[in-house]
Amino acid sequence: MRKGCAYVNGPLIVQSDKTLLLEVDHERADDCRRAIAPFAELERAPEHIHTYRVTPLGLWNARAAGHDAEQVVDALVEHSRYPVPHALLVDIAETMDRYGRLTLSKHPAHGLVLTTTDRPVLEEILRSKRIAPLVGARIDPDTVVVHPSERGQIKQTLLKLGWPAEDLAGYVDGEAHPIELAEDGWALRPYQKQAVENFWHGGSGVVVLPCGAGKTLVGAGSMAQAKSTTLILVTNTVSARQWKHELVRRTSLTEDEIGEYSGTRKEIRPVTIATYQVLTTKRKGVYPHLELFDSRDWGLIVYDEVHLLPAPVFKFTADLQARRRLGLTATLVREDGRESDVFSLIGPKRFDAPWKEIEAQGYIAPADCVEVRVNLTDSERLAYATAEAEEKYRYCATTDTKRKVTEAIVRRFAGQQILVIGQYIDQLDELGEHLNAPVIKGETSNTQREKLFDAFREGEISVLVVSKVANFSIDLPEATVAIQVSGTFGSRQEEAQRLGRVLRPKADGHQAHFYSVVARDTIDQDFAAHRQRFLAEQGYAYRIMDADELLAES
Amino acid sequence: MGQMSTEDLPAPRSLAEALRARDDASLAALLRRRPDLITPVPTDLTQLATRAGTRASVVRALERLDRFALQTAEALAVAGDPASYDELLGLMAGDAADEAVVAALPAAVAALREQALVWGADDRLRLVRTARELLAPSPQHPSPTGLGPSVQEATAGMSPGRIQEIVSAAGLPSTHDSVSAVAALTALFTDRKKMKRLLGQAPADSLDVLDRLVWGPPYGQVTPDPAPRLRWLLDRGLLLPTAPGTVVLPREVALHLRAGRAHRTPEPVPPAVEPAVVHRPQVVDGTAAGQAYTALATVEELLKEWDEGGPAVLRAGGLSVRDLKRTAVALDVSEPVAAFWVELAYAAGLLASDGEADERYAATPAYDEWRERPAAERWARLAEAWLVATRTSGLVGGRDAKERTLSTLGPGLDRSAAPEVRHRVLTLLAALPEGGAPDAEAVLARLRWERPLRGAQSEDDLRTRLARWTLTEAELLGVTGRGALSAHGRALLGVAVARRTAEEPKGPGDKLPVHHRPSAPPEHLSPPEQAVATAAAARLLTPLLPEPLDHVLLQADLTAVAPGPLHRPLADMLGVLADVESKGGATVYRFTPASVRRALDAGRSASDLHAFLAAHSRTPVPQPLAYLIDDVARRHGHLRVGAASAYVRCDDETLLNEILADKRAAALRLRRLAPTVVAAQADPATLLDGLRAMGFAPAAESAEGDVLISRAHAHRTPPRTAPEPVPEGPPVPDATLLAAAIRAIRAGDLASTTPRKPTDATQLAPGELPRTSSAETLATMQAAVLTGEALWIGYVNAEGTASQRVIAPVRVEGGFVTAYDHTADEVRTYPLHRITGVAELADD
Repeated sequence: MRKGCAYVNGPLIVQSDKTLLLEVDHERADDCRRAIAPFAELERAPEHIHTYRVTPLGLWNARAAGHDAEQVVDALVEHSRYPVPHALLVDIAETMDRYGRLTLSKHPAHGLVLTTTDRPVLEEILRSKRIAPLVGARIDPDTVVVHPSERGQIKQTLLKLGWPAEDLAGYVDGEAHPIELAEDGWALRPYQKQAVENFWHGGSGVVVLPCGAGKTLVGAGSMAQAKSTTLILVTNTVSARQWKHELVRRTSLTEDEIGEYSGTRKEIRPVTIATYQVLTTKRKGVYPHLELFDSRDWGLIVYDEVHLLPAPVFKFTADLQARRRLGLTATLVREDGRESDVFSLIGPKRFDAPWKEIEAQGYIAPADCVEVRVNLTDSERLAYATAEAEEKYRYCATTDTKRKVTEAIVRRFAGQQILVIGQYIDQLDELGEHLNAPVIKGETSNTQREKLFDAFREGEISVLVVSKVANFSIDLPEATVAIQVSGTFGSRQEEAQRLGRVLRPKADGHQAHFYSVVARDTIDQDFAAHRQRFLAEQGYAYRIMDADELLAES
Repeated sequence: MGQMSTEDLPAPRSLAEALRARDDASLAALLRRRPDLITPVPTDLTQLATRAGTRASVVRALERLDRFALQTAEALAVAGDPASYDELLGLMAGDAADEAVVAALPAAVAALREQALVWGADDRLRLVRTARELLAPSPQHPSPTGLGPSVQEATAGMSPGRIQEIVSAAGLPSTHDSVSAVAALTALFTDRKKMKRLLGQAPADSLDVLDRLVWGPPYGQVTPDPAPRLRWLLDRGLLLPTAPGTVVLPREVALHLRAGRAHRTPEPVPPAVEPAVVHRPQVVDGTAAGQAYTALATVEELLKEWDEGGPAVLRAGGLSVRDLKRTAVALDVSEPVAAFWVELAYAAGLLASDGEADERYAATPAYDEWRERPAAERWARLAEAWLVATRTSGLVGGRDAKERTLSTLGPGLDRSAAPEVRHRVLTLLAALPEGGAPDAEAVLARLRWERPLRGAQSEDDLRTRLARWTLTEAELLGVTGRGALSAHGRALLGVAVARRTAEEPKGPGDKLPVHHRPSAPPEHLSPPEQAVATAAAARLLTPLLPEPLDHVLLQADLTAVAPGPLHRPLADMLGVLADVESKGGATVYRFTPASVRRALDAGRSASDLHAFLAAHSRTPVPQPLAYLIDDVARRHGHLRVGAASAYVRCDDETLLNEILADKRAAALRLRRLAPTVVAAQADPATLLDGLRAMGFAPAAESAEGDVLISRAHAHRTPPRTAPEPVPEGPPVPDATLLAAAIRAIRAGDLASTTPRKPTDATQLAPGELPRTSSAETLATMQAAVLTGEALWIGYVNAEGTASQRVIAPVRVEGGFVTAYDHTADEVRTYPLHRITGVAELADD
């Protein structure tokens, strides 16, 4: 405000609900983006106007990263097209002022302590019932002992109480283990480097990158930075194998140094890859595999697909606050709305890049998203109308007409690598039969899966029908067309994952196609609209097509 | 100097004379300051002087004094009557002659004189008697100066002998005359040197006592046998007794100890209101303009919210708490802020109750006019209404004197001081350099200095609260921006402001240009002057408000962003076609099937909508949006719903053609829905009659489609139960009771006609109650139940009244006997323990 501020024609519009609208075609849009990125979350990035949101969490993260209220206010005032409401600026300053009144630090004699610069705040939070069990003796009026095991818990609780604590207690280095990136003939992409740097500088946190943008390499890069024993948590066994494969290929690690800790194998090595499933297996009321966390002095814990982190893992993570944590994900949208738990337990978002930006840099393939609307036949409509409410989605999602349209699309892209993705096994089996393609579903053994994937990768098979088991972390580099016939209701995050299947850059650089086959005028259509919203907000606009049009074309 | 030239005129002997000596301008100044003096207009100056001396008027005048003038008046009240200017100066400035006080005092005296609170020349200043009474110290009413009575006043009732003792103790030559003794004592106390010497001999703990009393309150308690340190002071008259057990520090002594000053801290200079922060004026104007725009949007949103049936008016008037809450949620503001907007719209005449039987609040016709005005004029109207309003939304939620909650738009919110305080606060802001925002506390301190009596020292006195509200409300309304008065705000107060044209220098580290202090706004604006000022404010505001846009940006995620305010027709249309998702500088709209359907319902066709979007979008219309509109339009109106009273159906289409072609069918208002179905607005009976009259033979159909048998059907009620009989008198007794009754009647008859069988024990005298043991009573009773005989009993009721009765027992159980009472002619129940005895009736 003390600087010259040109009100006219700034690229930013500040809304009363604390969203910021950024006009991307504006000449100063890039400056503005850089100025607001530290404290505002990118919420939507469609073609013309990007929406950022200012949240207390975002402001506190900015404080944690060393920005002050003055900078935030200046950034807003500087770039805003219209005058920024004073109340909003005051609110921002007040919110940011709440950060750092409490600090968690190491006391030479008492261990982990919570200290305050503002005694009434400490009094206030100590009166909270939720804080009481987490703290120990009061050392002096401004300091109270915190049980070291409650470090995550107390941070999370303080955040909820609106008095976020600055965590100065630091990290343990963990057991050292040499890890180097083997950059022979390839190198980390600039944004991957940036992500690794941001993460390392910030200590712990989440890196958000689109599917296919090489999140594994961000993980590998971070390990090379940490040079210590690492625990990697992934969603399933296939994904674990892929991590292992990738690590062997991209780093100095050898097969023997990497252990797999899953349902079938229980190896603990300097770098151990474990599945969420095995961690959350409960026997006789206890989690027998939890000791994995303590089995070594891990220097780094990597959470793959952090948006899928199961609730029990949250609880364990709270106990690991002294270790560096890296979360990797394509979207922070959690259908259970626990995004803030991810932030408080793993760490703030350290890096994200709009999908379109990475696409523009050529690191992910451009995609053509099409929603094909299928008309139900009269008899199908009647059957749909009379179906039980819980059966309705299944009914319209698996209608016969869809199969015909799917076949038409497959015919159209004959010769290209095509994935058909669906939710219902019956439907997939039927499709597999009609398309003469193998089906991968839950009961398919891991060996069989890998064999099929390899064949697909080699081009021996050009069409693969997969159920939702293949939603995550399977690496199918040459898939150029994905056809989605049904999904998990309105899951936005699943849609993003599936689109990600085809976004990996193509060898010949041609466009990827993502088809979503939807039954018109049914809840399938409503769910599709909900699913697409995230991608539309990422700039992946869907074209909507009538099935008749498509059938006529082919 | 405020002294009046008095050389040519004889010194006035009364206030009336002093007034008479004043010129017209000076009298006018008095009347302007104290308008209550001319309501009604006094007949002459004597009457004016009398009125100026009345308690009510003086109190009012004193309340309007600033702190220093008031302190001056207080000092005069403790000075001699009359007092010389020098004496007053001594009291105000002290022995050290505080320079600021010396400089400010003449003006203060002049102000007091102007207001006719003080009269007389500088050598004989007189405080009006009423004012003196109000301000002079008395035991009941301690003076704000903390001074006690003078030696003369304090010794008024004292015995001459005691005075002599004091005089000699103080080391003065004794006189026999009390008056001269007191005068000598006074002279001693006012003589600084001698006093110093006297006090130099005082024991240290005695001085501590004086220290405690010096700044007041001057009274202290003593025991009948005072301690030596008190004794020392009492002996010398440094403390004088006022009542048994109470002593006072005489005024002269206190003044000596205070080095002559009547006030501990004279405040000759008003607390400065200085800018705490200086913003660039452009920032201030821009922020204020942004807020002004928000104000307009908020008022419009509020009234739009109430467009279809606003909230109901409470019986006592005003808005219910729940409605206020709801409004606050709808406007996304806190409740006090919502109350402010509602009150503002009300004050500006945009909102009122509709006066219907079911009274509700709604927008006035003036609102529709207002909406059509340019934005700056709309704002000006709100700002002007706010400036002069006496209603104060800040009071909402509080309670009045009768403990009733004060509600928004309800009664009891008027505070007549509000416009004056508002004006004063803004004037203080106007006195700052452009862009200067003061500290709110400094403004409040200044207001307290200006009206010390009105604004009590407490935190929550009305003026302070009003001032606080003014600061927040001015910010909300966009009169101020970032706490500093904007250019249009300044213009609103009547200050001539030039439109800012030159760009201020900018660049890193630029120093703020030196702004000269702007001219002060006029004190009071007449309505026409205010209108001119308001128009000037609107002119200044106009270029700062965002230009309405005629385009939006459409995006493939089915949103439209209006990067600024839109032209009204565009905004109205978009409001129908899409839902507002976020507001502020820009508006984000989201298209949903429901919103598109709403637009279609409003009579737009799909092609209208396409054309509308294409015309107003800067970018190509995204395919999904175009598809959405077509898709909704495709289904829109697919099903049709209408009302009909009856229908005619017939498998023979020709027959229906025939009916429709018949002119006589016009009255039935028939419409063909399908080849074999015709709907009618006439009810089924009329339709049947009509068709029959036309020569057709229709049959009626039930809802299930069965042909109704045409038979005059009898009208029936729904299932009903027959009425219960309402018997008169008691229920009929059962056979046993009846039998008993009859027996009893007979027995009674016997009892009255036959002599009693003498009992074996004692012969009962007439009127004497039978007496038997309780076992015997019980046995006899039980026997009587079996035999059905009537008995003669003695009975004592709850009040202890004894009586004789003939009863025919029916039942004996639980200590009670139920029997037909022959005497009372009804069935009664008697507790056995109350029965004194029982006797058989004599046999016939």
